[in-house]
Amino acid sequence: MIGGFAEIGMRRLQGPSSLKRKQPDSGSPSDSLTDAERILYNLIRGKQDMGIWSRDMKRETNLPDQIVNKSLKSLLAKQLIKEVVNIQKKGSKHYMATEFEPSKEITGGEWYADGSLDVAFISILKDQCLKYISKKVATADEILDWMKKSRMFSVDLTTKQIEQILRALVLDNDIMEIKSTGYGDFSSVKEGRVCYKCTKKDSRRGEPNAGAMASIPCGVCPRISHCTPDGIISPTTCVYYTKWLDF
Amino acid sequence: MVTQNGIKLAVHLITNHFGNLVAKVCENLLRKGTLTLEHLIRFTELTREQVKNSLLVLIQHNCVQAYSLEVEGGSTYGAKANTQYLAIFDNILHRLRFPKFLATVSENFDNECVELFEGLLRDGRLTITQMVARASQRENPVAEDVVRDSLLKLVTARYVERCPVPEPVISKLDKDETTAKKRAAKSAKINEITETLEQSVLAAAVPMEVIRFSVTTNTGSCVNRDISSNSSPIIGVGEKRKLDAYGLDKEPSAEEKELVLWRANFEEFIRGLRHKACTENVRKRLDDDAAMVLKAILEETRSAEEKVKMESSVPLSLNTIFEAVIKIEVGRTMTFDRVQALLVQLGCPQRSSDASFSIGLNNIIELARNDEVESIVKNRYGQEAYRMFRLLSKSGCLLETDKIANDTFVEKKDTPKILYKLWKDDYLHMEKLAFLGFKQPDFLLWKVNKLELWKHILDEMCHAALNLSIRLAYEKEKDNEVLNIPKEKRVGPVVERFKRIRKVWLLLESALMKLDDALMLFHDF
Repeated sequence: MIGGFAEIGMRRLQGPSSLKRKQPDSGSPSDSLTDAERILYNLIRGKQDMGIWSRDMKRETNLPDQIVNKSLKSLLAKQLIKEVVNIQKKGSKHYMATEFEPSKEITGGEWYADGSLDVAFISILKDQCLKYISKKVATADEILDWMKKSRMFSVDLTTKQIEQILRALVLDNDIMEIKSTGYGDFSSVKEGRVCYKCTKKDSRRGEPNAGAMASIPCGVCPRISHCTPDGIISPTTCVYYTKWLDF
Repeated sequence: MVTQNGIKLAVHLITNHFGNLVAKVCENLLRKGTLTLEHLIRFTELTREQVKNSLLVLIQHNCVQAYSLEVEGGSTYGAKANTQYLAIFDNILHRLRFPKFLATVSENFDNECVELFEGLLRDGRLTITQMVARASQRENPVAEDVVRDSLLKLVTARYVERCPVPEPVISKLDKDETTAKKRAAKSAKINEITETLEQSVLAAAVPMEVIRFSVTTNTGSCVNRDISSNSSPIIGVGEKRKLDAYGLDKEPSAEEKELVLWRANFEEFIRGLRHKACTENVRKRLDDDAAMVLKAILEETRSAEEKVKMESSVPLSLNTIFEAVIKIEVGRTMTFDRVQALLVQLGCPQRSSDASFSIGLNNIIELARNDEVESIVKNRYGQEAYRMFRLLSKSGCLLETDKIANDTFVEKKDTPKILYKLWKDDYLHMEKLAFLGFKQPDFLLWKVNKLELWKHILDEMCHAALNLSIRLAYEKEKDNEVLNIPKEKRVGPVVERFKRIRKVWLLLESALMKLDDALMLFHDF
């Protein structure tokens, strides 16, 4: 498990939260560029951390397709530009000067990695928050401190990020947000402060009780609006019912 | 709030209990609203005799109430033709929960009361003479005194009441009121208009509180009854009318006393079940102590509640609440401070101890409804949809697709798909924000419209209850031959089949009872 964190942590270290811009070298290879390459390079660099779509380049420079493609290849080889994934237009070729890190609009924000939602990272964060709260009532700051102290993640997490994670856990109904009363379970949290507590679960299954409707076939049936007593879909011929009543 | 599937379920129940003819009359009343006998004959295409008898059955079982509109000048000429019949949807659905009502009685009273109450549920309405006759014909007959005593107990607890006036007169004023409402809410559905009419008819038919729960024993002594002649001048006109209808401004003769019809008071049972639902929900969300405090408050104020759907509990002082709490055995461990802290947890604003406290019952009901709806969303549409739905439900306002994706950690490209599915099935409301600018995509805004959604869920629940009931009937029919095999001949595979039948029935019946709890949550509470 720890290995898993480290790996993800490493990846996060090179991620957007560790923005380190390389200074372009003085004797840059841009001197040896062809005219077409220079035009394209300037255009791409001019777009900074937004980058540019290959088709837009062709439109803006009026260069023939062949030349553009060849020049891009050469610029890539010289490591002056890089290809990035644009969350808005996945599958389309998007380029950016090497010295820039893609903006939030391109990457999708801090929770995205390589153009897709960093599900593994989010899920580990959620698990860790839940683990902490299952032991005691806690505030977002407290959880962040704990994470920092235990050096679980090599990325710098912010309170805002932890709060976002906690809000998602509230939406999952795993925890609830309440104001501390200062008594009992809340004795460690100052009265009136927002804190988080685990939601009560059915002790037998660790799952919240399913509602009356959700525990019968009709409650989860995608075809209920087509079901009639004498129709093609009917309660007497229903396959879901037959499966449910199969003892 | 009667939905299409609600009507289907009601008609199904009536068909099961009283057959097709009665169900046909009932269906016409449910679908078309109030009708006269002539109209019913025309719409049902049944004979006058058939319609009349069906109506009598429905009235006997409290599923239909007759009333007439007041004729100007007080003339009674043509009053017969003016009699309207109104189907009482709620009472029809209550037939589904008779076992629950019976369970409440058997928890609180002795066997004699249970027997008597069971008779009332089975027969709808009975006079004391009929009850005595029934009791004497039982396997172990009981004396008249015992029957009267049981009735007295049940009436005192308000579980049994006098039947409403057979045909109350609705004054012009009431009618004008409804037509005014009709005009005001032209776009509103027919259901809502008939509901106001239904309410006024039912309100007019209910006898005055003191009469409703008064039993005159045959020795002539009165219980709960202190109507003397000097109290009549202060009775309002409407109330006087009800008295007239009973002929109670005159001293009733012994014969008349015996003719009084009694029936189960569904309202009191629903009130009890609502209280129970509230305390159980609090137990689930908070803890046993909070549930106990709420229970103590509700028991203390039960008789002071004016209607079933009380928005919040009747205000009580902290001292009274504390007294009520220590009446309960487990409550004796409580301190004053602890009770006060629990009241705050239950949503009462913190204030000085001499102020009065009232707990928002509607809030508790709303949370319970949310749980039910969310659990459907989770099971039908998955965890991500559940998270999105909860976000929208909690925020209570319109949110944009991207904002929803960010807050719920769902892939941006998947978000609209999930939201669209929920919208298509009427779980969400959607608004499009179009921009005139070049190439700007439309913004989609989403929202949970709770009132609309609850109506939709209730309709689906009625549909599901109907399905459960149909499937149960089908299973029973299918297994009839196995059940007819005498016990000694049940061997080998037949034993297995027999076991299966029992399991299937048990599962279907318990699912129906559980679903009925949810139906009450959305319709009656």
